[in-house]
Amino acid sequence: MRVADKMAFNQVNQNLTKNRSEMADLQNQAATQKRINKPSDDPLASARVLVARTEERGNTQFIKNINNAKSFLEFSDQSLGELSDVLVRAKELAISQSNDASGNEETRLVTAAEVEQIYNQSVQIGNRKLGERYVFGGQKTQTTPFNPQGTYFGDDGDMKIQTNKDSFVAMNISGNKVFLGQGLTGDGIARPRTETPVTVDQLKDFQAEEVQRRQQNDEVEANYVETRGPASLSGTKFRDRQDPVSGRIGVNIFSVLKDLEVSLRTNDKQGVQSALDTLDQAISQVVLARSEVGSRIMAINGTQDSLQKAVVDNKVTASNLEDADAFQVVSDINKTESTLKATLETSGKLIQPSLLDFLR
Amino acid sequence: MSKISAMMDTGKRSLMNSQTSLQTVSHNIANKSTEGFSRQRVELLTNVPITEGNLQIGMGARAGVVTRVNNPWLEKQIQREGVSMGFADARADGMSRVEQVYNEQNNKGLNQYVTDFFNSFRELANNPESLASRTLVRESAAAMGKDFQRVVTQLRGVQEDVDGQIKTTVEEINQITKEIASLNEKVQMVEVNKVPANDERDRRDLLLKKLGEKIDISWAEGKDGLVTVTAGRTAILVSGTGSSDLKAATTNTRDRVEVFFSGTAGAPANITEQITGGRIGGALDVRDHVIEDLLTHVDNMAYTLATEVNKAHIEGFDKYGQSGVLFFEQPDGVKGAAETMSLNKTIFNDVSKIAAAAQGGAAGDNTVANLISALQSRQVMDGGTSTIDDYYNTQVGQVGAVAQRAMKAQESQKNVISQLTNIRESISGVSLDEETTKMIEFQKTYDASARLIKTADEMFDTILNLKRM
Repeated sequence: MRVADKMAFNQVNQNLTKNRSEMADLQNQAATQKRINKPSDDPLASARVLVARTEERGNTQFIKNINNAKSFLEFSDQSLGELSDVLVRAKELAISQSNDASGNEETRLVTAAEVEQIYNQSVQIGNRKLGERYVFGGQKTQTTPFNPQGTYFGDDGDMKIQTNKDSFVAMNISGNKVFLGQGLTGDGIARPRTETPVTVDQLKDFQAEEVQRRQQNDEVEANYVETRGPASLSGTKFRDRQDPVSGRIGVNIFSVLKDLEVSLRTNDKQGVQSALDTLDQAISQVVLARSEVGSRIMAINGTQDSLQKAVVDNKVTASNLEDADAFQVVSDINKTESTLKATLETSGKLIQPSLLDFLR
Repeated sequence: MSKISAMMDTGKRSLMNSQTSLQTVSHNIANKSTEGFSRQRVELLTNVPITEGNLQIGMGARAGVVTRVNNPWLEKQIQREGVSMGFADARADGMSRVEQVYNEQNNKGLNQYVTDFFNSFRELANNPESLASRTLVRESAAAMGKDFQRVVTQLRGVQEDVDGQIKTTVEEINQITKEIASLNEKVQMVEVNKVPANDERDRRDLLLKKLGEKIDISWAEGKDGLVTVTAGRTAILVSGTGSSDLKAATTNTRDRVEVFFSGTAGAPANITEQITGGRIGGALDVRDHVIEDLLTHVDNMAYTLATEVNKAHIEGFDKYGQSGVLFFEQPDGVKGAAETMSLNKTIFNDVSKIAAAAQGGAAGDNTVANLISALQSRQVMDGGTSTIDDYYNTQVGQVGAVAQRAMKAQESQKNVISQLTNIRESISGVSLDEETTKMIEFQKTYDASARLIKTADEMFDTILNLKRM
């Protein structure tokens, strides 16, 4: 083949450009430690990197959500612990005053004062705040849930926290359930649905349902006649722990304590004795709520563990896709460098001689 | 019988031939680096011999014609590949700029801003009472809106650059076609004398290649040696010794530059649609197809996002217990939704108007905040088959793939061109070694011819001195 001078120059030019650009590319990889520096470096992988990053950011947010919910739940748990402690103390007092051997009119009067304190303490626990939020007010976190008479001003809404793509966990337990025993079972009180609406249609359904539910609950509540306490003389009926009229198994902790106090004050031994039963019920009601809170904490702890693992996985996925293999890059750089040197050397030889150099 | 004078004459002509050849060698050497130059050769022919009796005596050589060593079919092939080269070049340039808009390897981009937006609603769900988390929602929504605008502005920026490129390229095209027309004239003038117009043809071939890299042309050479050049399908740029200009101007219907042909009678014809090759073709493809598509996708995404968030938000209740207002300014339609994406002024001025609750009056109600954050994993795009994230990530993947293909096409087209150019150089290129050899060859011939004349001279002397002896 005939070789014209320009061919040689062109060839040298092309080869050098190619080697240099390869070198620049590898150098960039070495400097950024990334295999993908723009989408076209690997289109599929760069889209998958974005997916992994979105997941990672989402999961990190879920972990934050869980930490937030956890502090709320743990605070609730702690408050419920205190509540059950004071109720146990009330029971101890009731037991000590339930017979004439250890109690008399005077001691009962003294004890009544302590029970009154316990009552106040319970109200205070019901009005606990974490930060600026009342813990037991349902969704009405800015309204004091209980007044000194034990009337509830909160609602029974759940504050749902997203703990994973499609799962939500309520981080609160509403005060009417714990303190007033409403909506446990069999009392005709409907609780809000557990699913969180995720579409607008579901939201509208939910809103309509809520209005209806509240109306219904208000009616049930208005017709509710409490049959236990000092007014009820026969203790035998409590054995099944169910209100004979409404079928409610929950008790109003405040009325229980108030009743006990009144019984003590009026030296009503029988009243004190019957309070033992309802106190038991109150304690188990608090324990029930505590176990609900505890199980939620356990559940989100599990979720948190798997989220933390998922975050690591996401990072590994992104890294596998986009990070440069350092050894590979370095060895490629060496290879390209030696090619570049060879090109330069041979180029020098290719360009230099012509017939003119030999004609003297 | 031969004559001494004839011998002298042959020697003289040989001297001249050597000079002509040496002149051509020097022309070749001088044009070694001239773009598009084809090496030239003097075609030496034997002179008409004289017949005397039964002897036919050769009468030396004469320079017939100076030709260029050139393969016209190869030139044409290079020109055609040049059209694809220009197209691939412009496309690769454009795509590498477009993909930077979607490059989230080093910078924060739409993917991250959208995630941040949804995360801010999760933060709001954690603490709907707090002004801090409400402000976070506002900031992240505003940042996301800005980034939607950034994408649109940057894509438009590439389009505007392409407009500028088209304008300057059209100017260059007009220069080239004028020169081709004048070369046509020169070629005709030279070749009317049956002499090949080597340098003019070389230049014209080169200009045709350059023209083809800018815009897709077809051309043909007539019997008279004149080329006719047509751009696209109908725009006759060069015909005979005349040329017609192209014009780049914006139209009323679109604020983008289009290409017009003013050669025909009447109003200039819009030939933008016909241009499918060359740099202009490649740039137009990026501007009118790739980027327009992407703009539609970004608009789609912004529209769906704004509409879905608004739909949920308006059903909610704000911190004052009043029912929700629009969260984003509701876009009028899909087109332009990304560019105009902005927060509702009411919300911008008072973050308490952000509706997190499903019912009024409960400060801790976060139902709507949860609903909006759950929008991230709902399939609301593409007729309910993909999430907003999927939709965007697919775009990024596609842009990357298109850019990658454009760059590979450019690479392989470069190889094609360089191979063809190599073949061309091996045929038409100047080799110094070869020219040096020729130089020596013709110098020797020149020497020998001079010696011949000297010999003839001496022969005359011998004859003239006969009388003295």
